[in-house]
Amino acid sequence: MKNLKINALPMAAAASIALICISAARADDVPKNSLRFGSYTVFYHTSADDISGPYVPPGVNLEAQNVETAYFGYIRRLSSKFDVELALGYPPLAKVKGAGPATVGSVPYNGVVVSGARWIAPTVFLEYRFLSENSPWQPFVGVGVNYTTFYDRDTTAAGNAAFGGPTRLSLTASVGPAATAGVGYQVSGRWHVYGSYSIAQVKSDLTANTAGIERTTHISYGPQVLIVSVGYSF
Amino acid sequence: MNKNVTAPAILLAAALLAACGGSSSPTATVNVATTPGTLSVNPPFRIASLDAAALQAALSATAAGAQLLALTDNPVCGVDFYYLKFMTLGGAGEMTQSSGALMVPTGAAPTCSGPRPIVEYAHGPWTNQAANIANITDPSNTEGALLAAMFAAQGYIVVAPNYAGYDISTLGYHPFLDAKQQSGEMMDILAAARTALPNTFTPATSDNGKLFLTGYSEGGHVAMATLRALEAAGDKVTAAAPMSGPYALEAFGDTVFYGGVDLGSTVFAPLFANSYQHAYSNINNDPAGPIFSSTYPNAETQLPSTTPIDTIFAENLLPMAALFDSATPTQAEYPMVPPPLIAAMAVPPIDPSVPVTAVWNAGFGNPYLINNNYRVGYVLDAAQDPDGAVPAPQPGVPLAKVKPTQGLRQDFYVNDLRNGNWSPTVPTLMCGGSLDPTVYFSVNTGTMAAFWQPLVTAGLVTVLDVDPQPPLKPAGSFILIQEGFQASQLALFKFYQTAAGGGLSAAAAQQMIVEGYHVAVSPFCTLAARSFFSLF
Repeated sequence: MKNLKINALPMAAAASIALICISAARADDVPKNSLRFGSYTVFYHTSADDISGPYVPPGVNLEAQNVETAYFGYIRRLSSKFDVELALGYPPLAKVKGAGPATVGSVPYNGVVVSGARWIAPTVFLEYRFLSENSPWQPFVGVGVNYTTFYDRDTTAAGNAAFGGPTRLSLTASVGPAATAGVGYQVSGRWHVYGSYSIAQVKSDLTANTAGIERTTHISYGPQVLIVSVGYSF
Repeated sequence: MNKNVTAPAILLAAALLAACGGSSSPTATVNVATTPGTLSVNPPFRIASLDAAALQAALSATAAGAQLLALTDNPVCGVDFYYLKFMTLGGAGEMTQSSGALMVPTGAAPTCSGPRPIVEYAHGPWTNQAANIANITDPSNTEGALLAAMFAAQGYIVVAPNYAGYDISTLGYHPFLDAKQQSGEMMDILAAARTALPNTFTPATSDNGKLFLTGYSEGGHVAMATLRALEAAGDKVTAAAPMSGPYALEAFGDTVFYGGVDLGSTVFAPLFANSYQHAYSNINNDPAGPIFSSTYPNAETQLPSTTPIDTIFAENLLPMAALFDSATPTQAEYPMVPPPLIAAMAVPPIDPSVPVTAVWNAGFGNPYLINNNYRVGYVLDAAQDPDGAVPAPQPGVPLAKVKPTQGLRQDFYVNDLRNGNWSPTVPTLMCGGSLDPTVYFSVNTGTMAAFWQPLVTAGLVTVLDVDPQPPLKPAGSFILIQEGFQASQLALFKFYQTAAGGGLSAAAAQQMIVEGYHVAVSPFCTLAARSFFSLF
């Protein structure tokens, strides 16, 4: 019984994709591929546990700063109503500020940029377009999966001072659901402009290692992403 | 055509970007070398950084801290507290890692940066295995606060080990009053601290070449043993101030075994036994049988512990005061023991005019820690090959003429700092309190002073009793410290008799004074040490 439940979902998904592909086969005159480029603004809604570990005063927390970077996406038309989008942003340097006490000991902390990390967060959306393919306006919604991994994780000099020395950060990768809503407008021929707003669940366990002393926290970044882009279909 | 190429190309680009992941800023370098004196983690972890105002505010927040500030003066410098991990050797010569503190003065005042003198400090006996003198965020770390306020906040770089057996140490025992091990560990953390100094947050603060040694109680012995070891190694020491230490261990041990049981002896005895068993393997195979009574079968390995000492007493894992059996050895039981020795081992009566006699008396009870057989074996050895200071002082107060045969007494002989006829060659201050019921002043400080008297040049060694008893009075260059100590003791005695202090009777208040005496002397002697060091 349990196995039947588990197997039902992929089977339904496979059936859906098969229907979508059949539908797509009837519209060969519409370009199937699009590339989009634009701006990618991330508004974090960070919530994190207080940092725990040796020699950490109570209430020491972190907060991610909003970032803006370049967006590029590849969109594959599946049918007259469905697209699949791979959304990417040029890996931005996301800065993290201290939150909590004004100082740790006598070292400034609250509001001070203590670390930075670049991340790659490819997100795959299955999108549904509400209007016909001939409409210049193309409102859409989508759901998908986000994968986020972090690299170039550096603490700042101020962060090292607060943490007690040169600090190595590790952040676990995150896989979580994502959703998007947006609208496209056909400017001319194969050119469109798009605007969308997306949300994703990005959670990571952070470990800060300072001279062998490890402190940890669990961060939920709560990113909300505004994308404004130009697309070309081919 | 394009549609076949573009999708994989984008996915590939994403994959390549992902492949960039994994890098991160470096942390400290871990040195896996096991050579004694190796700094294991460089730069060391800074536990806290307090500027002068924050340090003053933190100390002022508690009554004890405020009293300390009244002695030390307000901080001139801030202090960075670093946590050192370094390699050293255990009591049996085994390689082990230990830890400790490096306190670095900070701030704009001229005395807070640049080349600065080093004070190396050895702490007193701890029962808490997890204690860390570098952890200034721990409110129970009063010794660390004392060092910060007294020395680091006044411009001294402070180096202080936690000792093997404590904190991160996995040694499994503490080499308590093992002169060779503990002086070696002091030299090892000093080397590690000197390695760390250029890599701190204030690398311009450096060692100016002046080295001052000090320590309290157990640490007094350690500081003196370290002075001896550094001098033997040809290393420069500027001055030393061992405080309230059991320097003349053989004489002190003989005093205790004759019946002058000191306050805290039921804590010290397990530490001694475990330390010396590991170093010399001569505690547990004594011909007189086991040292510890069957009531406390695990006494030897009980300390240090992460279990609070009050809990250890409450759970009857160690007796609180009864070192010896209140049914002292009798002539019938031990016919080979001369009658005067049997009499000497009797329970000392309480003389109300001599407060320490209550401590001696409380050292006997049932259940008790040390078996009579073992005690008799020790005392017989002491009687046959007496120490030059105990029971009756001999000219020059020498050690026993030959190395004792009884195991524990042999260990005391080896670790007695008269051993080897060494005497200091640098200015040395020995400070303590003459009524100390824990580490007897006359038996230890007095014996060392008398022993060194013919060996050192006049004025090289200074003895300071912060509590001179009539007909002596506070006098000399430390008069303010002596007067301050006596005034604080009097104030405390009166406080105990107030409602806020517990409303104790005069006798009970006096008992509280006796029990707190050893600890109370510490900040005053430490102030004397700083005053002494400032002369050089």
